[in-house]
Amino acid sequence: MTLPAGVHAETYDQDRALIRTPGQWIWFAALLAGLLLLPLLGSGKAIGIANVIGITLVAVVGLQLTSGFAGQINMGQSAFMGVGAYACGALAVNLQMPFWLTLPISGISAAVFGAVFGLAALRIKGFYLALTTIAAQYIFSFAMLKLPKAWFGQAEGLRLDAAALGGYALDTDVRIYYLVLLVAVVMTYGAWGVARSRPGRAFVAVRDNDNAAEVIGINVFYYKTLAFFIGAFYAGIAGGLWAYYVRYVQADQFTLWLSVWYIGMLIVGGMGSVLGAIVGTVVIRLLQDLITVVGPEMVEAFPRLGGQFVFAAMNMLLGGMIIAFVIFEPRGLVHRWNILKESYRIWPFPH
Amino acid sequence: MASLLGYVVNGALAGLLYALIAMSFVIIYRSARVFNFAQGEIVVVGAFVVWTFMSVLDFPWWVSVPLALGASLLLGLFIERLILRPLVGEELFAFVMVTIGLLIFIRGVVLVAWGPEVRFFPAVLPLAAIKVGPLVLDRALVLGGAATLVLAAITSWFFNRTQAGLEMTAVAENHQIALSLGISVKRSIAIAWGVSGVLSTLAAIIFLNGKGMTFLASDIGFAALPVALLAGLESIGGVVLGGLIVGIAVGLAAYFLDPIFQGGVASVFPFVIMVIILLIRPSGLFGWKTIERI
Repeated sequence: MTLPAGVHAETYDQDRALIRTPGQWIWFAALLAGLLLLPLLGSGKAIGIANVIGITLVAVVGLQLTSGFAGQINMGQSAFMGVGAYACGALAVNLQMPFWLTLPISGISAAVFGAVFGLAALRIKGFYLALTTIAAQYIFSFAMLKLPKAWFGQAEGLRLDAAALGGYALDTDVRIYYLVLLVAVVMTYGAWGVARSRPGRAFVAVRDNDNAAEVIGINVFYYKTLAFFIGAFYAGIAGGLWAYYVRYVQADQFTLWLSVWYIGMLIVGGMGSVLGAIVGTVVIRLLQDLITVVGPEMVEAFPRLGGQFVFAAMNMLLGGMIIAFVIFEPRGLVHRWNILKESYRIWPFPH
Repeated sequence: MASLLGYVVNGALAGLLYALIAMSFVIIYRSARVFNFAQGEIVVVGAFVVWTFMSVLDFPWWVSVPLALGASLLLGLFIERLILRPLVGEELFAFVMVTIGLLIFIRGVVLVAWGPEVRFFPAVLPLAAIKVGPLVLDRALVLGGAATLVLAAITSWFFNRTQAGLEMTAVAENHQIALSLGISVKRSIAIAWGVSGVLSTLAAIIFLNGKGMTFLASDIGFAALPVALLAGLESIGGVVLGGLIVGIAVGLAAYFLDPIFQGGVASVFPFVIMVIILLIRPSGLFGWKTIERI
């Protein structure tokens, strides 16, 4: 992390702090205030978009820890999210548990499911492991549709009541928005913590060369499993939030395609950086919403394009972006942003 | 008893079809060290090209099929030139990501070009079923199975016995070493993508012969994954055996387990077998054992 000239840490606490300068404090406070006041400023539609971004963010930040930091390509993130959503739904519907209990439990249950695939990492490596996570997707949808109806509702899925705190039901977009915001902020902060702690450093060592990591005394097996455990925990929390936001859980909501999109968000944002996950999620989601707004008008202007144009345009845009980023800027948008920041700080000098 | 035999034989034939698609995965991996996630989409593009030639332009099959095969060859070469050549020598991860991008991109293109409607795929191969004793077999699958065996023998010979094939194998080991030995990595990748495009179109013709299809037919790409992984990503002969194992196992699973689970076992069972076998043999049954140096 580079800092403006003249900023020096004098204690370890200062050196560890995420926010170092008064300027950063001002921007951080402005961001938080903006997020808190969004319901007052934005329309109902904006809140809906913000909710979806917040939920996706939690899942993608988790994927960043598994794939970006620990280097284990995970194509099962949406299945892990589904496990969380189902766990949350089943507990809320069958046992009437409150959301502050079901959310952590859904995280843990997804994490356990994910860690099973991490265990496979002891023997299966590289491509083979990446492709094994696809199996998670198929096993998940099969299990959810075949397990007893009293547990997960089979093909009908689960319908949830709104999350409630005491007598206060989080049943509108604005009310659930604050829950999503709180969870997203806590989870993102946690991800920064993981990345900067011993497990995070070990993840990076395993990613860069797992044999070398083993030699310098890192328990590769443990950290690979842990990477899947933590990543899937994030997915499970995201799934729980999704269950309370949509209030309907069904296996078809969690597709392999969604996992592929999550990976796309990571690449566009930047692998190996928590900020990259945030940037990627927000940029791609906003572009998606832009297309859903602009797309129909374009179809109206050029009727030849047809109704499927909106969905197709999204795919072409994201696919094209991923290819372009891998070829021209493999480190993602966040790397561009860092370059920009650096050149702003040292302006007018080139280096 | 006859119905059990039917499940086994039809399972084996379906397994050979999966082996054909898995073969196009393996050829790309074996000669370019790229795992192509977009394989299923390329199958769909091939299918729609055949459909366009036969149903829209009304060409007879002996014109459209060679034209479609040529088009898919060109598509493979085009992808190599535009997307893969700038990445030669990059790490594995970049190739994984770029083919995932390709997967998403091609699906968008297919939707714009051909739309999401259900289309009736022309019957290139005769539809009448073959009856052998008590068994009723799909003629397209039987012909396809035979084609798979012949193609596997030819490509296996090519990669193991010819100079060009062995050079391409070196590329699969390591791009930089291959380059320093004077082997053209880009030519190897181009040949691999061209050939695998042609195989995908063949698979599409066999798989969709006389059936309805949409862009979602690309799921067969993921369905063929267990076969490729089970065999090991480097072995072409192994793919045939892997296809037979998966096909027969799925046939048996459908026969014995479907009554318990009310159907649907066939889609998940290959993945279960795959995970179990990978836990025992981490690089598949016939994959290369790699020795890692630090």
